[in-house]
Amino acid sequence: MLRVLLVTDTDKPIGELRTALARLGCEMLVEVAKPQALPRVVESERPDVVIIDTESPSRDTLEQLAVMNAAAPRPVLMFSADGNQSLIRAAVDAGVTAYSVEGLAADRLAPILEVALARFAHEEKLRARLAKAETELADRKLIDRAKRLLMDRRKISEQEAYAILRKRAMDQGEKLVEVARQLVSIAELLG
Amino acid sequence: MSTSSWLASDAQWPDGVPEKRHLRVGFIALSDAAPLIVAKRLELGHEHGLTLELSRESSWAAVRDKLLTGELDAAHSLYGLVYGVQLGIGGPREDMAVLMVLNRNGQAVTVTPSLGEAMARTGDLRAALASLGRKPVFAQTFPTGTHAMFLNYWFAAQGIDPLTEISSIVIPPAHMVAAMEEGGLDGFCCGEPWHAVAQARGLGRTVVVSSDIWPNHPEKVLACRRDFVSRYPKTAQALVRTLLSACRWLDMPGHRAEAAGWLAEPAWVGAPRDLIAARLLGDFGRLQGRHALLPVSFFDEGVVNYPHPSDGMWFIAQYRRWGMVGDAAVAGAAQTAAAVSQTALFEAAARAEAVPVEATPAHEVLCDGKAWDAAVAGDLRAYVDGFDIRAR
Repeated sequence: MLRVLLVTDTDKPIGELRTALARLGCEMLVEVAKPQALPRVVESERPDVVIIDTESPSRDTLEQLAVMNAAAPRPVLMFSADGNQSLIRAAVDAGVTAYSVEGLAADRLAPILEVALARFAHEEKLRARLAKAETELADRKLIDRAKRLLMDRRKISEQEAYAILRKRAMDQGEKLVEVARQLVSIAELLG
Repeated sequence: MSTSSWLASDAQWPDGVPEKRHLRVGFIALSDAAPLIVAKRLELGHEHGLTLELSRESSWAAVRDKLLTGELDAAHSLYGLVYGVQLGIGGPREDMAVLMVLNRNGQAVTVTPSLGEAMARTGDLRAALASLGRKPVFAQTFPTGTHAMFLNYWFAAQGIDPLTEISSIVIPPAHMVAAMEEGGLDGFCCGEPWHAVAQARGLGRTVVVSSDIWPNHPEKVLACRRDFVSRYPKTAQALVRTLLSACRWLDMPGHRAEAAGWLAEPAWVGAPRDLIAARLLGDFGRLQGRHALLPVSFFDEGVVNYPHPSDGMWFIAQYRRWGMVGDAAVAGAAQTAAAVSQTALFEAAARAEAVPVEATPAHEVLCDGKAWDAAVAGDLRAYVDGFDIRAR
């Protein structure tokens, strides 16, 4: 049975993995919420796997244990050619980093990462989709403003204004929204 | 796209247009991140065709991972972090590059007020530590980093074996003061302003500044993956030129005080301005040292910034001393450091900025009386063997 330690020192609800991982058959150790408590817990509880927020300040404490203590979990090598690369990478993208003891087979770590991903990746994707939608909306507003500027100034139709912006973007090899941004900012400058 | 690039032609940059113009550069919330923050505030990159995007990171491990995945192009990095990754100590291995040194000096060791009193009373670190009645606990910032090595060196210079007689743990710099408040921690070694903050809150007393351990020691560097340099050589040079101008700016009268005001903002360091300013300007209160106490240095006409391979070799020697690498790392140290230190690129950038190039590392005597210079680095095996206190 794998002994798993969750580090819960950030806003990311890593602690919520507890039940799901226990259901997988992991032995869940008492959680740690402060870097100064980590060395003692790692020494006394000897976890096989540590799951931590990628952005946690406690990560350097784990790095120290990995260097100075051969029995302590070390950062899962996400950059070597080992198996499970995409899974490990996806976990990091979702904001979860794993440290595991040396010699732990990748297929024993995989289900733990899967559970972490299932919990966090979805949320991440939702957030990314929301951010994308917001950017698209802002872009569209900017392009509309640029079109109106051209229409007013040159007394042309919306279609013609759009064609001008489009041509300029193609000539410059830039996105339409960037050309619109430049036009709007120069118009603001000229008052 | 900014207005300046709309108006400018490519002829503006005589060295050629940087291959990559928008760079993400990581930093940790410390006073010695000042060169990056100055470069950003004054947009010094624009002159060299660069736009910098600074990214505050929560740990050195995150800095490392993001450099390796390419999420960061370059970073304000502990000198030793670069070599830890280069040698694959306790984690991933990758070919790394030091583009330039960002600062020297400016770190310290702070202990609890009671331990500080015991040190003053006994005048002997071993006796003062014995008064604790248990194994002392000291914190530093990263296992292969500068603070871990300086703290070990300082203890060993006073006859204390840091591997067996001290519990050394890692706590992030910004959490040091809270850890002192909570108790159980006897002292810490990291960058400013956290020593000034601990002392101002009555939670600690600074007992030694890092220039007294190793005068003008290398500290933070501008680091990147080595393939970043080969893929984007013009960008790398433009980045070094940008940071050199930031370092030069910091040495001009009045500028450090101004930079302290910027560093104090929550987006950068987020600590009281006056505390940041005091130590940036070399005000250590009544603390005495074996030398005049040196504040953090950023430029000194470019002397600070040259990426001497011997600086890196010192770290490899200390890793061997503490059993973190084997003999092969020492045998290959000169070769390793020559590949990591981007001296040719630095020299070209320095010349372009009219910064004098001083390629000979300084001769310095460290706190145990041992000298360190290019000649000593030339026989690294003998240097390592010369330490009585080391991993057995």
